[in-house]
Amino acid sequence: MAETAPLWAVVVLPLALVVLAGVAAGADAVLSAAHGGAGAWRRAADPWREAVRLLVQQPRRTRAADRWLGRIGIGLVPVAAVLAAAVVPWGLRPVTDPAVGVVWFNAMEALAWAAVWLAGWGPNSAFSLVGGYRFLAQGLAYELPHMLALTTAALGAESLRVGAVVAAQRGLWFVVWMPVAFAVHLLSAAALAFWGPFAHPLGRDVAGGAAAEWSGPDRLVLLAGRWLLLAAGAAFAVPLFLGGGHGPLLPAWLWTVVKTAAVLAALLGLRHLVPTVRMDRYMEVAWLVLVPLTLLQALVVAVVVLGRR
Amino acid sequence: MGLRTALRRIAATRVAVLLVTAPGATAVRLAVEAGVRRRGPAWGWAESPAAANALLVAAGPGHQAGGTLPDSLPGRLWDLLPHPKARATAAGEDEAGPALDSLAEALAAGPGWRSGSAPGGPGRQARKGAGGQDTELVAGLPMAERGDDRDGLRLDVLHLPLGPALPDWPAGLVVDVALQGDVVQEARVRPLSGPGALPPSGDALPYWDEPWLRAAHGESVSEGAAHRRRCAAHLDSLGRMLGVAGWPGPADRARRLRDAALRGAPAGVLLPGVQALRRRVERSRTLRGLVRGLGPLPAARARELGVDGPALAAAGDAYDRLLRWPTEAERSAAGVDSTALLADRRPVGPRGRLDGPRPPSRALLDALPPLLAGAELAAARLIVASLDPDPDELLGEEAPHG
Repeated sequence: MAETAPLWAVVVLPLALVVLAGVAAGADAVLSAAHGGAGAWRRAADPWREAVRLLVQQPRRTRAADRWLGRIGIGLVPVAAVLAAAVVPWGLRPVTDPAVGVVWFNAMEALAWAAVWLAGWGPNSAFSLVGGYRFLAQGLAYELPHMLALTTAALGAESLRVGAVVAAQRGLWFVVWMPVAFAVHLLSAAALAFWGPFAHPLGRDVAGGAAAEWSGPDRLVLLAGRWLLLAAGAAFAVPLFLGGGHGPLLPAWLWTVVKTAAVLAALLGLRHLVPTVRMDRYMEVAWLVLVPLTLLQALVVAVVVLGRR
Repeated sequence: MGLRTALRRIAATRVAVLLVTAPGATAVRLAVEAGVRRRGPAWGWAESPAAANALLVAAGPGHQAGGTLPDSLPGRLWDLLPHPKARATAAGEDEAGPALDSLAEALAAGPGWRSGSAPGGPGRQARKGAGGQDTELVAGLPMAERGDDRDGLRLDVLHLPLGPALPDWPAGLVVDVALQGDVVQEARVRPLSGPGALPPSGDALPYWDEPWLRAAHGESVSEGAAHRRRCAAHLDSLGRMLGVAGWPGPADRARRLRDAALRGAPAGVLLPGVQALRRRVERSRTLRGLVRGLGPLPAARARELGVDGPALAAAGDAYDRLLRWPTEAERSAAGVDSTALLADRRPVGPRGRLDGPRPPSRALLDALPPLLAGAELAAARLIVASLDPDPDELLGEEAPHG
């Protein structure tokens, strides 16, 4: 059983997650500008400058708003991300390694549902509320296959402890014999962060949806929070499917960073390939295609595990 | 204190523009969009007033500030922007650049803001309930009423105006919808603007129809110029549609190609770009899965309504209409170098015949309400974008339509 990281990691974790999210957001800005000519790389600092702009901007309120309820929702977004990341091993040692780590991660992403819904409800504005509701529908669509994907990885390791899941991949990464679960987890990482192809809750068609009425620091926490969620979701794919810190030559922590960056890069690519999906259409795909596929994947893994005994 | 000033200075270099376009100001909008792109990474677009720090009103040439927009609109939007903020009006293509510069200067010189939050707006629920005075008020806002929904349940009904200041939305258009949840129960297109605001200056022609109308008036217009305008018009519609569909990359590509077409790029440069975009759009199975089946407008029904142009040729749903644009843009792109004079025949603009009793966009607007009823809000936005009526064409109409 891998031991947990020293206590200072509790302080470092949120900072590391912020840096990771910021780098990912910067890479996304560069990628978006890539077809716009030279100097695209300079946009890497854009997210940070935008953060400064929002930081000194006036917070704004709407009439008859439930401001504090909305702000609790907004605050929950980064909190959920950091708490979810607490069970992700950086290297081979996570900040905490509870016996039910996989379930813990799942619970924290469900916290984000409440968060976005509250953020959409708070401002007393129709578009914002529509955005909040969209995320609930999105949760229903992506969560069921995602839960099955997480279960599959736990099944392969015969443990819900993230450390045990990593240990079980010393020989063979789970992605090799659980490709469906891995793919579903990637989609879910984007979906739980209401980002990219799953950004419909903050859709352009409803003027920014759940974020439409938030300005200043409120907006910063909400928008930065989703990048944190995305980073946490991507980072969690590494211990679950990509062998965690295992790898030749490089130290374990560096392998974790490299693999997380690769997962994030795949997600950024996905965003540029695919338009924003609407849940009234995606629900069908999620439940009629992805659920049976992940069930089948879980069955295969279960048979293999039983056969090994 | 020093830190605060430094942060403010960084913040002031970033401009998030909320662009409000008056009907008749398409040329100004295009100049502003190109100007923002030219100014580089620090400039961007805001999707809502809360996200903006700069308000830019694109008014038609010869109009007063705000022009054909309802008089109070720029002022109301301005109140919704959080501090620090700047505003400007561009009443002509050549004013776009100076207006953008003035926004940047005002933000850089601005005093910032004093503590305390902005009063903010009424949110978007501040619409008068259709029930009138007996609606219950909370904080001066009417509560939602009840009504039967499509499944026979009694649910809240919310009356909400879509427009006039939404991203990727026809300039100045307002569609009043009754919403239950996010399903549109009823939609009514509002007359374009208040009686005081009409008519605009008489000599201004709808931007996208200009070459054909000029030719019909006996001016000599080259075929290439007409192709150029048609190509750009379709790419503009496509860009908006993809924007609403949430596919920013190709939407941006469509706008760049549109601007290249208008700037006079030769067919050899333009055509490969449009072709690549068309292939990319056609190949996306996700896009097809998302847009397929929305807002069906079969040929018979379209003809009955007087719909012409790509919407008639598509003879199908929003996805068919979406695909017409890159196809027709490609055909036009091939002819932009032609110097032959536009032949003296019936003028046909990007949205259809221009010599009919009514402008083509009127028929597109008439087609909207029945298509919107029963659609989800997201689908409704896609349906509007797939028809893309051009409010510029409606300015010349005598009697506003109810």
